[in-house]
Amino acid sequence: MEKIGETSALCPVCLKTIKATKVAENDKVYIVKECPEHGKWKVQIWSGSEHYKYLYEFAAVQKPPQKFAVKEMKDCPQDCGLCNEHKQQTCLNVVEVTNLCNMNCPICFATANGCGYKYHPSLDEIKKMFQTVVDNVKSPRVVQLSGGEPTIRDDLPEIIKMAKDMGIEHIEVNTNALRISEDMEYLKALADAGMDSFYFQFDGIDDNIYLQTRGRPMFDVKKKAIENCGIVGVGVTLVVTVSPNINLDHVGKIIEFAGLNVPTVKGVHFQPITYFGRYPIEPTDKDRVTLPDLANAIEKQTMGMLKADNFLPTSCSNVHCDMKSLSIVMEDGSLFPLTTMALGPPVKTDDIADKTRTEVSKFWRFIEETMDGPSGSEDKTWRSFISRAKTHYLTVSAMAFQDVWTGEVERWERCCIHMVTPDGKLIPFCLFNCTAADGRTIYRRKAFCGN
Amino acid sequence: MVIKMDIVFSDEVKKAIEGKGLKVDDIKKVIEGAEASNDKITNGSKFIAKKVLGDVTVYADYSVGGSITVNSGYAHKMKLQDIVMDTADSEWTYVKNGKKIRKGHTNLSFMGATRSAPSLVDPASGESWLEEYLAAKTIAVAEMLFSQKRA
Repeated sequence: MEKIGETSALCPVCLKTIKATKVAENDKVYIVKECPEHGKWKVQIWSGSEHYKYLYEFAAVQKPPQKFAVKEMKDCPQDCGLCNEHKQQTCLNVVEVTNLCNMNCPICFATANGCGYKYHPSLDEIKKMFQTVVDNVKSPRVVQLSGGEPTIRDDLPEIIKMAKDMGIEHIEVNTNALRISEDMEYLKALADAGMDSFYFQFDGIDDNIYLQTRGRPMFDVKKKAIENCGIVGVGVTLVVTVSPNINLDHVGKIIEFAGLNVPTVKGVHFQPITYFGRYPIEPTDKDRVTLPDLANAIEKQTMGMLKADNFLPTSCSNVHCDMKSLSIVMEDGSLFPLTTMALGPPVKTDDIADKTRTEVSKFWRFIEETMDGPSGSEDKTWRSFISRAKTHYLTVSAMAFQDVWTGEVERWERCCIHMVTPDGKLIPFCLFNCTAADGRTIYRRKAFCGN
Repeated sequence: MVIKMDIVFSDEVKKAIEGKGLKVDDIKKVIEGAEASNDKITNGSKFIAKKVLGDVTVYADYSVGGSITVNSGYAHKMKLQDIVMDTADSEWTYVKNGKKIRKGHTNLSFMGATRSAPSLVDPASGESWLEEYLAAKTIAVAEMLFSQKRA
């Protein structure tokens, strides 16, 4: 057993801060922690100990937030908001506009429709949260409207317009796609209000999967919703909750489906199942998927078209939080990956949150400006390759959220995905949603219902 | 006997070359090689020569009078492969064999992908040259697509 590092974590029973150690054993990395009152835990967080250590070379020079709500932090992660110890500024702001939902899924990080209180902020309260974003986060600002299910709000177009008017440049809506599949007028209203893209919950191309994750068949709903988005011209990222017991063996098919639905579908974002909020089982290591496990499953199921080596950490958050690939979808439907670990760690890593926010838009604009003249229709030329790259690209990415068993301060303090709270705080997304083994939350309930 | 002439770069040309991440010395190497071997093409008023230096194909566009004046320098990382087709005569001649250079398409390979691009070709020798507009635009963008994650 080799010790890799020390950090702090949470006791899954009492949610108090306890010391934790990260160790390598049998080519796996574990977090080991002990609460003096409630016992000891050893939970796998990574597969491949050398790979885990190598990824530290991809760590960016992070830029702390310019403002923080908590002036004097005493006990990280208990008094978050952010504070002056936080290492990375915000990249994505998540604003929850309701905790009500038109579904009742067996798996739900927010425990929507079942947490015992209603959170459905007024337009003024939402405006206040947008103001927190404007005051604390540098332009360009990216907000994800989440819930609950944001589309149960008839005033969502108004909310989007308000955000845009306040100087928030990019708005994406996190949705189960139910209303988008059946209400074209509403979808048009969202697009007209300035919504930029959708974050579609999408667990597979087989209703047996949805029956387990969502409690009802959903595949036809998703297909219809994607078709509607194509008509309106709104881009979609498919967001997949991945469980080893339910759909890990379907990730290749999901990527294939995404490729066939480019350019409406812009990406697939895999989220290995996290045990917070509502979930059906008490997790053991075999109920978890680490990022390397996922990357290997993708390589195997895409017949090597997308290899584990095509995935790089974005270096915006902690290097063990996420991985991302970018591919061009070729004429025959195959993926042509543009990213590879062989390129090595990024040469220049300072101010990476800024870069992540502006990189994509700047890059495509450069291509637009450089490629004058009619777009190449000739087959198999570099010109047609670039024309295709402009529209037919697919990002396949993943984020490993942390729960009360796997969470650690080393990752939380480098987080760039923040929940915006009604009282003007920014809190790392998975810390905000963390629940104890008995379902008590560390932040969510207090922030949204006051106790 | 090869008479070694001075190679002259105006400040503007030098700045443009360095702005593309190229070294003035590399352009000199390309010209010296071409002048020694006649491995260059000409349209009567100027020459284009190329040389593979490391992983990069470097081009010099230059004129010869009392001295050698460099008009421009450019480069691409893609590897020139076989000629895909040739369609029409160009205004260029290959000095090395005296053949008329044709307009055509050549395959270029980069990081496992091979696709074609318009080029100047000599079917007799199998040699191809990319003109500057192409190296600076389409090919540069394609190369950048592959390496953007390093930025």
